[in-house]
Amino acid sequence: MGLSLDFGTPVNTALLVYILYSVQRIIFPSTSKPTTVPNEFKAGYSWMPKTHPPTVLFKTYTPKTLEPFNGKDGGRILLAINGIVFEVTAGRNFYGPNGMYGNFAGRDASRGMAKQSFDLEMLTPIDQPLDKLEDLQPDEVENMKGWIDHFSNKYIVCGKLVENGQA
Amino acid sequence: MSLPNISEYLATDDLTILLGLIAATVFLVNNLYKPQPLVHPILLGRQSDVGRARNPGESAVYRNYSTGLMGRFPVRPGKDVHILADLVRPETEAPRTLWSTKITNHTFQDRVAAVGTGLLRLAPLKPRESSVLILLNDCIEFLLADLALASHSIVSYTLSSSTLLPSVLESHRPNAIVTHAFMLPKLLELVYDTSDRTVQHTIVVVGEPSPQALASVASNITILKFADVEREGVRVEKILTPIPKPTDVFSISFYEAENGLIQGAQLTHANITAGVAAIHALLPAANAFTPLDTITSAHSLSTTYGRTIAYTSLYEGTSFATLVSSAAYHAGDKPTVLDSKDAISGTQYPIPSPTVLFLKPEQLKAITTDVIKQGARSWLLYPFAWRHKVSGVSEGFVTKESLWDRVLFDGARTKILGPTAATLRATIVSGGPIEASLMTPARIALSVPVINVLSHPLVSGPVLATHAFDLQDFPLGKTKSQSVLPAHSGPPGINVEVKLVGVDDEAVEKGADPVGVVFVRGPPVGKLVNVDGYENIPSQTTDDEEGWTGTGLRAKVQTNGSFVVMTD
Repeated sequence: MGLSLDFGTPVNTALLVYILYSVQRIIFPSTSKPTTVPNEFKAGYSWMPKTHPPTVLFKTYTPKTLEPFNGKDGGRILLAINGIVFEVTAGRNFYGPNGMYGNFAGRDASRGMAKQSFDLEMLTPIDQPLDKLEDLQPDEVENMKGWIDHFSNKYIVCGKLVENGQA
Repeated sequence: MSLPNISEYLATDDLTILLGLIAATVFLVNNLYKPQPLVHPILLGRQSDVGRARNPGESAVYRNYSTGLMGRFPVRPGKDVHILADLVRPETEAPRTLWSTKITNHTFQDRVAAVGTGLLRLAPLKPRESSVLILLNDCIEFLLADLALASHSIVSYTLSSSTLLPSVLESHRPNAIVTHAFMLPKLLELVYDTSDRTVQHTIVVVGEPSPQALASVASNITILKFADVEREGVRVEKILTPIPKPTDVFSISFYEAENGLIQGAQLTHANITAGVAAIHALLPAANAFTPLDTITSAHSLSTTYGRTIAYTSLYEGTSFATLVSSAAYHAGDKPTVLDSKDAISGTQYPIPSPTVLFLKPEQLKAITTDVIKQGARSWLLYPFAWRHKVSGVSEGFVTKESLWDRVLFDGARTKILGPTAATLRATIVSGGPIEASLMTPARIALSVPVINVLSHPLVSGPVLATHAFDLQDFPLGKTKSQSVLPAHSGPPGINVEVKLVGVDDEAVEKGADPVGVVFVRGPPVGKLVNVDGYENIPSQTTDDEEGWTGTGLRAKVQTNGSFVVMTD
């Protein structure tokens, strides 16, 4: 009666083998650790992401070194307001070469932000000293500060703008 | 030809049905009985919120993910807690035991007021001008004196070890000293050495001073008994002084820094309330501190972190005691051994069985090895129990109520920890690096959350703290000099932000882990003062431009936002 039943039918044997294997797994659970640390949480509980979150190195720019970052070659797009340089690559639609505000890319946009204008007259040529913004009205300065807040929340502050030759 | 063979092979009978049912049951048990991890691993992959930009030579700014870069730091544990005195809430009616004294908050406040008035009258002390050195081991008189002095805007000094006493006495001449009776003779000697006979000193003694000590007191020294001071305060009308502002400095906690210099942490009321909020957040909201808890701490109240733990327990309304090894001042020269007996030495006081232990790494190691050795005595059950526990931890799950605890580990724990084993529900370890290979055995041996905290004498709350339910276990990391890295300390505390200074920019741009000196900023960080008479050594530890304070510790940050303190 005993052992001969096991080899009675292949189906029974298969089921029995499966049962024995599962019971063995329950009584002797696996304690092996994976050889390499998984990079996905689905692959294991003790996992580690592959890379650090991306961070941008804070750099000092001059009007000349800032100008190449106008997105025309598909690269990063930066713009400066009041000496603070923002990374606006995420807003390529606006600040890219074909965007509405494309004039500001790679330039000091302080005057344009203050006066709420995107005209080219708002920009200072890059070989000249930075726009001192002395002739702005208080409400225009407020407007510019509002834009700085907006940009600080939406984009990354990634540098500061100084005069040519000071960086 | 093959057809009849197949039907032969697929022949079934009653046994098949039985086996089929068993197989289905076993399959369900195997797949559905998998325990859920205590915290979803996706959260453990992003423990810090990382700044998007970083300065050259520095890492980005890291904050705890639950606080977030845009979030405000919690600065108080409750909305009406602004100064130290607010931490004692008179609304909670139930008494609790602080060391050997069972007392309600209301009575405690009365005692604090009495001690304050008594000190002002008898010492005598002037609010905002005087300073008092608290030279006490951890006892209720320490808290009474501390709160009394803080309420009257008198700066208190504490020393993390008795070796700092001569220098501090010389450089910061306190108007009065509160000390134990057994320390009186040595203290009198020091006072005679360091000052001339014309300056008036007051020494308030806790306990009964011996007649010989009293006889040797010179004429310019007044000895008062703490009990007399309190009685005087009860007798007369209470002196009222203006309420201190949260930004007022109430204490300077002196400690010896790594470079051997004596430094002081200038603590304000706001620092301590922020620290209490941070310690409160160490335990998850579902298991937060309640007045039913009992806390024992291995950290002396003369240290910043130890003091904040005591105030946390005051605020939460728990019972509180410290361990034998936490005493900063000893009668003799006996060094206390940090072992498992010491870890439960809080039970020498008439407190309820401890539920939360604040330990040092040596004590955790001692408890873990002892419990495991005790468990291993059961040669039949131990291999199974260990294996099951390890497999649970590798899935992120551990509990104190499993079958293997009932059968094996509870007994082992009770043998080593006594009644504490049954009531223990969390352990918070700080004071040094923990071996990485110890974390999983500790989590299994104790089967309660084991939280690894990095504390610093300048910061009242945790600088770094692991998630309470983090059970991850990684292969041992190695430093360049092939020494093993300790266990990770988790992300920054909830109300500090941390950055690493002195990182290798090139390596970081290529994707390596930033390694540098830990700088911290936030509400619980106190100001560093150097003891007068020492050269003001600048900038190795402080970077005052934007309020960053250096900790003098090197660490690396991993991709999941947790920090590993490097020991070399």
